[in-house]
Amino acid sequence: MLLKRLTEAAGPSGFEDAVRDLLRAELDGAADCMYTDVLGTLYVEQNRDRSGPLVMLDAHMDEVGLMVVHVEDNGLLRFRTIGGIDPRVLVSKPVRIGRDGPFGVIGSKPLHLQDGEERKHPLSVDQLYIDIGARDKDDALRAVEPGDVAVFATQYGEIGENCAKAKSFDDRVGCAVLVETLRRRLPARLVGAFTVQEEIGLRGATVAGHRVAPDIAIALEGTVCADPVGAPGHTRGTVLGAGPALTVQDGQTLADQRFLEFMMRVARDQGIPFQLRQVKGGSNDFGAIHKTRAGVTGGGISVPVRYIHAPAQIISLEDYHNTIRLVAAVVEAIAEGGFAR
Amino acid sequence: MKERILELAAIVAPSGSERGIQDVLLGMVADVADEVRIDALGNGIARHNGQGPHILLAAHADEAGAMVVHIEDNGFLRLVSVGALRPATLVGRHLAFANGVVGVVGAAHDVADQDLGFEHLYVDIGADSRTAAEARVHVGLSGVVLEPVVELADGRLAGRALDNRVGCAIALEVFRTAAGEGRNVTLAFTAQSAVGARGAKTLAYQLQPDLALVIDAVPAGDMPGAARLAIELGKGPAVKIMDQTAIVPIAVKDLLTDSAAAAGIPVQYEVWPEGMTDAGSLQRSVDGVAVGGVSYPARYVGGPSTVIDLADVNACVRLLQAAIRERASRV
Amino acid sequence: MTYDDPGQSRPTPTSTVGRHKATLLQLLDSHAGPGFEEAIADKVRAALGAYTEDIRTDVMGNVIGVVRGSGGDGAPKVLLSAHMDEIALVVSQIDDGGYLRVAQSGGFDPRTLVGQEVVVHGRETLLGIVGSQPPHLTTPAQRKQAPTLEELYIDLAMPEARVRERVRVGDRVTVARETLQLLNNRLSGKALDNRTSLAIVLECLEYLRQLRHEADVYAAASVQEEAGIRGAVTLGYGVQPDIAIAVDVTFADMPGQAPDVGFELGGGPVITFGPNIHPKVFQGLRDTAVANGIAFQIELSQGPTGTDAWQLQIAGMGMATGVVGIPIRYMHGSVETGSYDDIVACGRLLAHYIAGLSRTDVEALTCY
Repeated sequence: MLLKRLTEAAGPSGFEDAVRDLLRAELDGAADCMYTDVLGTLYVEQNRDRSGPLVMLDAHMDEVGLMVVHVEDNGLLRFRTIGGIDPRVLVSKPVRIGRDGPFGVIGSKPLHLQDGEERKHPLSVDQLYIDIGARDKDDALRAVEPGDVAVFATQYGEIGENCAKAKSFDDRVGCAVLVETLRRRLPARLVGAFTVQEEIGLRGATVAGHRVAPDIAIALEGTVCADPVGAPGHTRGTVLGAGPALTVQDGQTLADQRFLEFMMRVARDQGIPFQLRQVKGGSNDFGAIHKTRAGVTGGGISVPVRYIHAPAQIISLEDYHNTIRLVAAVVEAIAEGGFAR
Repeated sequence: MKERILELAAIVAPSGSERGIQDVLLGMVADVADEVRIDALGNGIARHNGQGPHILLAAHADEAGAMVVHIEDNGFLRLVSVGALRPATLVGRHLAFANGVVGVVGAAHDVADQDLGFEHLYVDIGADSRTAAEARVHVGLSGVVLEPVVELADGRLAGRALDNRVGCAIALEVFRTAAGEGRNVTLAFTAQSAVGARGAKTLAYQLQPDLALVIDAVPAGDMPGAARLAIELGKGPAVKIMDQTAIVPIAVKDLLTDSAAAAGIPVQYEVWPEGMTDAGSLQRSVDGVAVGGVSYPARYVGGPSTVIDLADVNACVRLLQAAIRERASRV
Repeated sequence: MTYDDPGQSRPTPTSTVGRHKATLLQLLDSHAGPGFEEAIADKVRAALGAYTEDIRTDVMGNVIGVVRGSGGDGAPKVLLSAHMDEIALVVSQIDDGGYLRVAQSGGFDPRTLVGQEVVVHGRETLLGIVGSQPPHLTTPAQRKQAPTLEELYIDLAMPEARVRERVRVGDRVTVARETLQLLNNRLSGKALDNRTSLAIVLECLEYLRQLRHEADVYAAASVQEEAGIRGAVTLGYGVQPDIAIAVDVTFADMPGQAPDVGFELGGGPVITFGPNIHPKVFQGLRDTAVANGIAFQIELSQGPTGTDAWQLQIAGMGMATGVVGIPIRYMHGSVETGSYDDIVACGRLLAHYIAGLSRTDVEALTCY
């Protein structure tokens, strides 16, 4: 299953190789032309010679992760984070080092041995180590090398009612939406960009936007969803199961109002549920793309993700399928000349 | 000048909602421009083809504001900020939305002023239900605090959006003169400046001018207990040395100070380490753009009402006119 | 990757090894903060003049010397970027009595400024002292408080009227510090961050004279790095190289530092690895060091490297980036300390890396 394969692949920012290799295989036959740039972003072109606006669809391949930076004499691994991970989610989690390296666990001093004051404070990265079972430093160095990266060893699975859990729905769910969109072979001039280094500053997209120079760009994301436990309406961001979320404003973007209205109109016409992303924090690759060259029109379409950046995240599969429907409908409407700036 | 400033300051144009004001601004120069247009990010651009180095006059048209992010079942609106706006300055004020709807801002009663965030604010537009509210506003609609411009004393104006409608008015005037002199000049009213000079970045890419001059407010530091800033209201234009986004090349700074000296215009020097302006985005576009800045002193920058002095404004116009002539003569 | 390396069989003439130590001492004597690099730019242009006549300066002030290789059209294009600015201050206000208040233009630790001699670059160049309170007049509690920049002032020891004639708001201030030569070919002074890297680039060009290289080398002294990595933005866009290597200093080890962020002084160049670095550039530098017997160290980075490479990597169509440099102690203080042996070794590493580059290597950079 596409979502399972994508979310279980390892790809911290700058180390997206496994995800890229997987995507190449998944897109076999769906591309007129496929290539990578010097940062490692994967581009898939369709209908390059067609007339009409050039549409860029973007999803980032990278995820937040860890890097091993030092091996202690006792074989425990010191690490640092890549991208924004809240250190509070790290303790008592299994990780996997590299593409298919050893498993490890992030433990902590047992509660019994902590005094009352210690227990109140979250553990910082400096107090945590990855244990791969090595007997000592030399033993560890046979299996890992400083500079190796690690991700949570979370397995994809269906959960509850039509939901799924996995690591890295941010943004493998966007990658999956983009793969499914490209497989449909829509009659549009399309470039799919699977970008690198989003989590450390929208870096792949900065270059990709400049390279592709699209007329219209849409970022496909997994976005923050904080709807559980009685959260008031204006602090939830998105609601699980309420449909794809369209951006009105985030940390890097103010929505192009005409394009936002266009997307809402398409959704209504097609009977696809949607919601507006009701939070300002966070951002996606469109934040970088729209500022490239002379400026790019477009927006963001996101799948709500609970517990984003944490080891186990939840999406609604209904949201996922509705996002694929909406993206396809929007691209088709653009190709038919439905959006005029 | 005063009438023009009053007219422009009355327009509601939070970042991202600049189209309305761009139509007005560009209409004011359509008679002398060879081309006017609004670009993908909302910058308003007026071009005059002419002789000599290509000079860009850039003044941001937008202002900080607040955006509807959620509508409660009982018709109250929830907000996020657009740009840097202190939440406490909104409480108890009238908020005017870009579509004309007006509401009153309230705040949760149990939050101390210093802890107040946008999540504690709400807007009452007189709607009793979500349906009633949705008939008049929508999520994504932006607004600004209402604070009409008044004249405190002769030439001293106070009110909302003087930062940077004053700059727009200066730029309009200077563009008209430069166009009349047959110069190669572009006037740009930048969009999305208050959220991080986004419009300026794509603007410079399109134009690649030989010199870009940013016209904006600089905070005065001459009030009781003010933050340290060696700028006084009424003491003349400030030549930008540096702000948080850019350091002005010494050659451009000298062009401005030399022009001022020759024209007998007293100037001040702007060292504003916290200042967020369009200068950096313009400077670091493509393989580099020579950037300078002429700023008018303004008290209470970032608050709902700023105070400016029309004598400074007129001196800014004369300084820019002189500097453009001087730059053109150096080719 | 193979290395066509005549330098290995023919030992490098020792007469030219380390020939740029004198150049470095001159560069360290320059005063050049972000946005006023012209004084050092002149010295850099003069030093580059020994290797090329093709020297350009872009709108931001980046100085670029182009040393052609034998590759002709389509030769690999390698940018070496070493920023030439140093951390500085800027006069923000002239107070009553003629004392100067200052703001940051770079990243000084205000605690290192107390009692410091500084140079004020006004209409004249003036010496000043950063004022401090005598211990007799401070309480023990005050002495435990770190001073903020707001509280500090510069004393020019002249009447206010004379100060106002000579100094204006916006004038730049740099630290006055003569470079000291310490034991073991080590140097100490201000602005080793990043003048040592300019010396590395010059040593590299010196080595390259004796090596055959296809690649065209764009040796750049960039501006405004300390103000937020600004010069590199337009430098990268203007040059659009295939490979861009930021040459910048990193932290030498000190007691109490985490084991992954401190490197041995005299232990050889530090090669950085992480998302900001193209994996093949890292690998090429490491392989070159091993093949040529150059001792090296590896720094691991998880995001921003805080060097020109952070902007170069994403300029225009993007480029393959690398980061190398030497470790120094007391970063952003005025007694930064580094080893000239590391500089020579780093220059040699870069020269051999460049000499080993072929068009095929460049084509491989976009193959993932």
